[in-house]
Amino acid sequence: MAITKRSSSNSEDLHAENERLRARVAALEAELVETQARTNEIVAQAQERVYWLDRWHLDLNALMRRPGAAELRGALRAIRAASRMLTRAKRRLRP
Amino acid sequence: VSEQRSVARISVVIPVKDGERYLEELLDALSREDVAETLVIDSGSCDRSREIAHSAGVELLEIEPGEFGHGRTRNLGAERTSGDLICFLTQDATPVTGWIEAYRAAFALDPRVGAAYGPHLPRPDTSPMIARELTEFFATFGAEGPNADRAGAPVLQHPGDSTFLSNVNACYARACWKEIRFREVGYSEDQAFGVDLLQAGWLKVYQPGAGVLHAHDYGPVEFMRRYFDEYRGLHETTGHVEGFGVLSAARQVSGAVAGDRRWAAGQGLGVGDQARWVARSAVHHGGRRVFSALGSRAHRLPTPLRGALSLEGRDGRELASDTSDGGQVTPDGPDPGAALSLSAPPATDLAPVPPATHVAPRLTQDFYEDVGRVWREGPAPLLDPVPGMADRERLRLALVVPSFRRGSGGHNTLFQILSRLERRGHLCSVWLQDVTGQHNSEWPAVIRSDIREFFAPVEGPVYKGYDQWQGADIAIATGWQTVHPTLMLDQCRARAYVVNDHEPEFYAASTEREMAEDTYRHDLHCIAASPWLRDLLIDRYDTSADAFQLGVDHDLYHPRPVTRRQDTIIYYARHVTPRRAVPVGLMALAELHRRRPDLRIVLFGDEGHLDSPFPYEHLGILTPPQLATLYSEATVGLCLSLTNFSLMPKEMLACGLPCVELAGVSAESIFGADGPLELAELTPRAIADALERLLDDRELWERRSREGIEFVASHTWEHATDEVEAGLRHALREREQAVPTQP
Repeated sequence: MAITKRSSSNSEDLHAENERLRARVAALEAELVETQARTNEIVAQAQERVYWLDRWHLDLNALMRRPGAAELRGALRAIRAASRMLTRAKRRLRP
Repeated sequence: VSEQRSVARISVVIPVKDGERYLEELLDALSREDVAETLVIDSGSCDRSREIAHSAGVELLEIEPGEFGHGRTRNLGAERTSGDLICFLTQDATPVTGWIEAYRAAFALDPRVGAAYGPHLPRPDTSPMIARELTEFFATFGAEGPNADRAGAPVLQHPGDSTFLSNVNACYARACWKEIRFREVGYSEDQAFGVDLLQAGWLKVYQPGAGVLHAHDYGPVEFMRRYFDEYRGLHETTGHVEGFGVLSAARQVSGAVAGDRRWAAGQGLGVGDQARWVARSAVHHGGRRVFSALGSRAHRLPTPLRGALSLEGRDGRELASDTSDGGQVTPDGPDPGAALSLSAPPATDLAPVPPATHVAPRLTQDFYEDVGRVWREGPAPLLDPVPGMADRERLRLALVVPSFRRGSGGHNTLFQILSRLERRGHLCSVWLQDVTGQHNSEWPAVIRSDIREFFAPVEGPVYKGYDQWQGADIAIATGWQTVHPTLMLDQCRARAYVVNDHEPEFYAASTEREMAEDTYRHDLHCIAASPWLRDLLIDRYDTSADAFQLGVDHDLYHPRPVTRRQDTIIYYARHVTPRRAVPVGLMALAELHRRRPDLRIVLFGDEGHLDSPFPYEHLGILTPPQLATLYSEATVGLCLSLTNFSLMPKEMLACGLPCVELAGVSAESIFGADGPLELAELTPRAIADALERLLDDRELWERRSREGIEFVASHTWEHATDEVEAGLRHALREREQAVPTQP
């Protein structure tokens, strides 16, 4: 009788462990689906945004890695800063 | 060995034709070098070349112009000399002082050195474009990285390094030449030698100290034609195809022009001269981009155009015998020889084997590499099933599709269904298997936009290739060329195969047919585009399969408010698709025309006109709205399908147009033997009879038209999506059943 009780108890433990693991698998699967959904959405949105870059075969990262690109960007930023400064100065000088 | 090579005897071989301009200077320079023997091979000069060679006291070998060949003549030169090292120069390449010693030093570097080459230096009157280009080109072979401080030192080149080699100025170990010899190719025998040498385990050396003065200018047009020849030769020898894009060409040209301007400024040219060279440089580099791209595609150009674009007038029919210069990537003159006629065949009954053309590897992988891998290694293992996965609300679906064009019916089916699966919450991605290479120049965002424009507004991402493969609940193959790549995708719980047609029937006995049949033998759960196709797959391949019915876009295809004509047969005569049985259809219409000469016959579905024994109106390829109008005004439609039925009869029926299809193939499985379609055997008379029945019997026409509209009313894309979704869940369920899970 004692042996039967122990067997029954072991079986219940095993069942509970199985249930716990199944719940864990289900939770992980749900997490995977959510991650995939976000990934799909982000990639699809990015593809919407970069259509013209792809159409014209422009890889801006590669472009900015080229010699002189950083300098050109620096020059453009300097021009922009100067232009903003001028605009601000003009505003201040306005009566 | 190194010591032996440092004192090696050196022979110099110079092929010459009309080379008087620089030959004297060249031989004079050689007389100051430690050369054991010099051989000039003249192939029919009309100028003072032979006289110059005689005066210089070098050996002169005269050959007939027709005997000249770049590889052949240089092999002859090597055979007729005895030096341990054999140098080749062109008639306009003048060695600089120390040339021979520099080569000796190169060969002393390693006993495995089979060849060495030196730079081509600009002459004082060389234009800035060419001078800069030569200098920068050869600088790329110089020491770099940790050895950069050894600028000017010889550089050993191993397998995997550049294969460049130029017989304008090169030196070969006799043992290496004996083993490899120059190929008898029309151009670029030196480049071919460079490839063969490294493949055979020899090394080569770039020796900056073994320079020759070698550069001379042409006019802009001659340069362009020269580039045409060079890149054509490069293509013939190595398979290289020069890329071309408008934006990239503009960028390259502007960069090159700026470089030339800096070079000219560095040479101390005045502002006026600089401006003149900048203009010339723009023409030069622009022409080069265009003509090099054309040259490497010369085989696709018409023969007369090839001849016209070639500086040497080569139209491609004289490959084995032409005598143009050994192709160099750097600018170079057409030194020895001019165009010649073919040599006379030997007077013997023995048919000589023609000179072989070496074909270099051009594909990064074999066209059917994926098939080979599956046959070799088997499919990638599937993930273990998860209990209940078939019934999950949201499935991760990856659709692998072949290349597509606007109007592709199969792709329309796939994307109509995929977009609806997305709307049901499934996570869908599209993976393009660019079978035909037609999307080579398209990046993923463009492909995605095209899919949305051509077929249906899919919301998920589109990938080209599998670099970003993320796994899926089901990877779905959609055409025979996508099946083997799909089988190689890992991290999948199941794979399925949406089968639009029995594709082996698209081919005669062939590799493609066998591979297409193989796709049904990998335990992919098939979802077939008709019950007929499902049954065929089960019966013939013993595969598990479901079926779905193609849907009709009822918003588009319904009777339109146009007057229905009583005298018009419209025929989907897509001749480029053999399974449409167009020759039989035309014979049927010819028969019908004999019976009813006043009948109006309209053909559509193909761009080209077809020859026929009857007059007809040709509409070409129509848009779906135009088709709906056509179906609404015609009297009877004709569409023949030798394999799985086309969507077209359903769309005709949806517009109230009775249609004739083939009996005994797939139509009965959809429409029944006496359903809305008028069925006919595959004979001209039977088809003509069926068409005539619908023209003559008004009651029959009315019944078919009414029944057709009623029949296809339930054939929607929503319903098709239901069936495909059930098939996909079936695929997952099969996986669950295949792997018993613990209780």
